[in-house]
Amino acid sequence: MRLNKIQNNFRDLMLDHPDALHSPPEDLAAMFETGDIALPERLKIYRNNIVNTITDALADKLPTIEALVGREFLTLMARSFALENPPTGGCLNIYGAGFPEFIEGFELAKSLPYLPDMARLELSMNAAYYAADDTALTPQQLGAIAPEDLDDITLKPRAAVHLVDSKFPLLAIKDFCEKNKEGENNETLDISVPGQPIMVYRPALAVKLTPLGQDEFDMLSQLSEGRALGDAVETIIATYPDFDFAAFLQKHMALETFLPLTANK
Amino acid sequence: MHIERNTIFPPATSPTQPVGIGLRHPYYEEVLETTLELGWLEVHPENYFGGGIHRHFLSKAREKYQLSLHGVGLSLGSTEPVSEDHLRQFKDLIDLYQPFNISDHASWSASGNAHLNDLLPLPYTQESLDTLARNIDRAQEVFGRTMLIENPSTYVAFAKNEMNEAAFMNRLSEMTGCGLLLDLNNIYVQSHNHGFDPFEYVEQIKIGPVGEMHLAGHIERETDGGTILIDTHSRPVKGTVWDLYEAAIKRFGVTPTLIEWDQDFPALETLVAEADKARAIIDRATNKEATHAAE
Repeated sequence: MRLNKIQNNFRDLMLDHPDALHSPPEDLAAMFETGDIALPERLKIYRNNIVNTITDALADKLPTIEALVGREFLTLMARSFALENPPTGGCLNIYGAGFPEFIEGFELAKSLPYLPDMARLELSMNAAYYAADDTALTPQQLGAIAPEDLDDITLKPRAAVHLVDSKFPLLAIKDFCEKNKEGENNETLDISVPGQPIMVYRPALAVKLTPLGQDEFDMLSQLSEGRALGDAVETIIATYPDFDFAAFLQKHMALETFLPLTANK
Repeated sequence: MHIERNTIFPPATSPTQPVGIGLRHPYYEEVLETTLELGWLEVHPENYFGGGIHRHFLSKAREKYQLSLHGVGLSLGSTEPVSEDHLRQFKDLIDLYQPFNISDHASWSASGNAHLNDLLPLPYTQESLDTLARNIDRAQEVFGRTMLIENPSTYVAFAKNEMNEAAFMNRLSEMTGCGLLLDLNNIYVQSHNHGFDPFEYVEQIKIGPVGEMHLAGHIERETDGGTILIDTHSRPVKGTVWDLYEAAIKRFGVTPTLIEWDQDFPALETLVAEADKARAIIDRATNKEATHAAE
């Protein structure tokens, strides 16, 4: 058997149901020496290591989901996802794209409709944690722009900035879980209160979250897409006549949301 | 806390002390805050792709120690080409941190669109040599320098091997100019799992290419057919592996040596004690040689 086929067959076996180890394809099994220790026992070492590594790599990024459903259930979901969507590269730092959508279709999780959005938030936080070490636009740099040129600049958010919108109160749920963990929680959580958009960002080394107004979220979305500042403001004002651009800019300069202008061109 | 952005590290020099340990997350602060009798640190480059706090700590650590970048994700033994994106990110780290050694394994992980994140076994055939050599050539071309290739731990053996593992590793070095990273624990695990003499293996490896050695602990798993050893990097180095290491130092001379520990992390002092033990063996092995040479 050629090496390419050995690797394809071995991969398929590793990602198959664990029972498949007991009856590996005959031509693959024939590739290996038989000794005192049965082939399924030997193959199981590989399968356990592979499945546990990729499952844990995903599950470890989701501490709030773990607090909500327990490690066992999270592992069940993550393993099911990982076997269908194994990593495509040799770095697991940001593995897990598509997991929120997977949870949406996961029958056993249907009674917890906020789980997919919570997974979106936590995977965004993880991506921010590993985002490139870029620098922020400074007030001096912004101040140096002539007023007549402001409309034409593009204020692009930094690599760590992620926007998450949800109809569920994700920040309240997250706080609730953290308090539970610290054992100081006598509150009950009302998940019927409306959610709000959230910005994930990383001004230095620590990942942070801040709630956004809907107009602010839409504005940042426009800027993320690379729209010129003047165009973006015009679009937002058409929908939100009371949008306060000065306050928006002040807040996001303070949060160090944007990339320097030179990096935008 | 601020991100170190503009630190430029000097080109690597050989470590002043031969023994190093793996820098892992639980040890970051202690390694930076204390002075340890260690020559160098090793990290998996894949854990530092992207940016953020891990790179911050690695920069701080690099200010104190020489560094070895030990890859686990290049999948050099896959029949498909090595990922150009992975090579580029690895190269960025080489340029930034100036490691004295760079390495990965004689194994495969990727097939089709799946990267299985394990060091999977290859048959020891000309086809496997050609496959590895093609990918190692490409990696060395991108890196602009030679790399070291490590012998794996495996749990299955192929029925149609055309050569033994030591001959395979020697041949790989001849074909690509790569150095060899001799993992003594892996050799011991292999010798138990597949039935050969680990000391003969070490004697068979050519002296010139060996540029680094690894020491780690393994576990024993009982099965109906007997015991199988699993390379877990979760235990102290076993006695026979120390003996094998002494034989290797006698054969290859003083070589940068890593104490690997990747799960069930003990206190840092446990790793440092293992490093001390390795240094004592180097002293004993080389003094004996010196005495012998003087006779």
